[in-house]
Amino acid sequence: MTAANARPQPDPPTPPDPTPASLPAATPQPGPTPQLAATPQHDPAPLPGPAPQAGPASQTGLTQPVPPAQTAPILDWPGTNPAYQSEPPTHPSQPAGPPTHPSPPDGPAAYPGLPDGPDAGGRDAEGGGPRAEPRRRLHPLSPLLNGAKSIAVIVAALSWQTLSQVGLERFAIVVAVLAVGVVIYSVIGWLNTGYHLVGRELRIQDGLLWRRNRAIPLDRLQAVELRRPLLAQLTGLAELRLEVVGGGKTEAPLAYLSVKEASALRERLLALAGRTPGSGEQATAEQAPMPERPLFRVRNRDLVISQLLTPQAFFLPVGVAFVVTQFVLEGSWTFIGIASTVTAMAGVVLQPVRRVLQDWDFRLGRDPDGRLSVRFGLVETRSQIVPLNRVQAIGVTWPLLWRLQGWLHLRLDIAGYAGPQSGGDDKRSDRLLPVGVFEAGRLLVWEVLPGVDLGALPTAPPPRRARWLHPFAFRAMGAGLTPEVFVARTGVLTREMTLVPYARLQSVRVIQGPVQRLLNLATVYADTAGGQSGVAKDRDVAEAWWLAEQLSVRARQARGPAPLVTSAANEPIDAHWQRPDYA
Amino acid sequence: MTQPGTNPPGAPLSALEPWPETVQWRPVSRSLITVELINRATWVVVVLAGLGAGWWFNRHWFWPAAMALVVVAAIWRSVVTVRAVRAWGYAERDNDLLVRHGLVVRRLSIVPYARMQFVDVTAGPLERAFKLATVQLHTASAASDAKIPGLDPAEAARLRDRLTALGEDRAEGL
Repeated sequence: MTAANARPQPDPPTPPDPTPASLPAATPQPGPTPQLAATPQHDPAPLPGPAPQAGPASQTGLTQPVPPAQTAPILDWPGTNPAYQSEPPTHPSQPAGPPTHPSPPDGPAAYPGLPDGPDAGGRDAEGGGPRAEPRRRLHPLSPLLNGAKSIAVIVAALSWQTLSQVGLERFAIVVAVLAVGVVIYSVIGWLNTGYHLVGRELRIQDGLLWRRNRAIPLDRLQAVELRRPLLAQLTGLAELRLEVVGGGKTEAPLAYLSVKEASALRERLLALAGRTPGSGEQATAEQAPMPERPLFRVRNRDLVISQLLTPQAFFLPVGVAFVVTQFVLEGSWTFIGIASTVTAMAGVVLQPVRRVLQDWDFRLGRDPDGRLSVRFGLVETRSQIVPLNRVQAIGVTWPLLWRLQGWLHLRLDIAGYAGPQSGGDDKRSDRLLPVGVFEAGRLLVWEVLPGVDLGALPTAPPPRRARWLHPFAFRAMGAGLTPEVFVARTGVLTREMTLVPYARLQSVRVIQGPVQRLLNLATVYADTAGGQSGVAKDRDVAEAWWLAEQLSVRARQARGPAPLVTSAANEPIDAHWQRPDYA
Repeated sequence: MTQPGTNPPGAPLSALEPWPETVQWRPVSRSLITVELINRATWVVVVLAGLGAGWWFNRHWFWPAAMALVVVAAIWRSVVTVRAVRAWGYAERDNDLLVRHGLVVRRLSIVPYARMQFVDVTAGPLERAFKLATVQLHTASAASDAKIPGLDPAEAARLRDRLTALGEDRAEGL
């Protein structure tokens, strides 16, 4: 570390025992819990191709043998299907004949023949040598589930207006016809979708008219998430989502696999992704189901109260009163009118409700390899596993109304993370702590960024003349360099703090606007791949240059002396990220 | 040393010249001024033609006033452009690339070679006519802007090769 001795190290906020009295410990639970349920999730179905028309490709798709309805993967699929023989040459089909690996995926132990070297995967696996695995299909129920999602979207699009115009009977017919079409389309899409592991790449083929072959290098894997929407929970399925850098959306959502298959595949992917040359063998060999170490669990009572303390929840009574008085004054009580109003109201009210449903039963843990595992959700349960060296930054937020309770919110910035609707932040799945007291936040920050004590982060305010620019926010602003992270604070009503580990800095910028020039101030940005920059606003110019210089020097030192490696997987500063004392 | 606010002695105070003793700033080509001016002139002509057409159909004092405004703005922007191009600069240090630009809003980017994801070299038709090219360094962060316009093609190629070579040497992924 660069300047670790510059100031006395604060006491670690927590001893390795992660269960202080105020923090109820999570019960270790290996799989996502099936939950009670309410409404289906409106995810745009990612798998079907561009348009629901049956082109020539789909004709050939239909002629291929329908596999038995089993969770076992389809093994003899390439080679028999004419559609696959016209594939681009990046994915040559398996050599004709029976596949070499007839065993179903039971876990990493079943694949001892995987390449061991750091660069063995991917390149030499072309041509379907003994290392290439047979292509597998998604679970046979997935087209039904995907279809159900599309139907929900269609019904929502048709809206009350249409229902009132065409009448219930026709409405039902239209929906039914569309439903059948969507399901047929999904089945064809399912027949054309497959995935397999080749060396250190996951390859996914899908698409109907526009066929798509994607090879995802596992070196670049940022996080893996197992999602189980309501319907998937009822049917025992799960969706596996891989996050890689680049691309605004989640690459390669594998929807759906059986839970067992999905978790086995996830373990394998993570084992391959985290493998360094030295630890090649153990990574695959020692995947015995070791229990993960529970870290923290958010009480559902706190979660509900915290969402009641949001502006939306406060405005709800006002909104209801407004609507009721309007109806009373107008005197029109038609069904459609009420239904439309309720729908419109739902849009406003839904956000806190949705947050409660999403963050329900929030549990954090460390898996045996030291990765962070996050599970949450009521209607749609999610279970993410994030390697700690993929955390780009941590955002701490103190909303105004939560400060009465002393609560805060922690956010993890992970490169490439974007929810299906990446616009809204409530859909983003990178939270570290939806709500919690300060001590809990301190504990978690210490876990994720070892050596960083949320209670002892010195920040210096900008020079007093910055008051001209920020008369109110001035007192809340600050920036500081600690041995491990760059800290930036801002915000009056909602206080925010960004912690950027030096090792994750991408670039440093210094920007000076015209007014700032008059005041001899400048703003320093510390950019990360997570999209959130640490911003030290309105520093004195000389200090800004000094900050920029320090940031770039520390970023270099945190990464260690520039090693002459060409593989991005060998993170040389892994030692920096090791757990504090129980490693 | 870790306390911000305590500045090392002799800290630079100029907004455009940080670390004068260690950094050799290199300017961009002056031909970029011509390119920028031609670009602006084209736009001004198009806008003036539109306003002139408006005046032809509707004899209102608004049209000539707008035209005069456009001309004045264009002249002022051109003066700024000349100075702004002189303000562009870049410097290659041992471990990072520095790019500074802007007059009204002054920006400096420090991009370590190790964080480079890819390098773009582009040249539009007008730039090609004046033998110029633009090099842009991309990192995994969308916010990084390390763009150097107005480079001689040979210099652009040299910079590109040097950046990619350094990036490979120091590649550390994310």
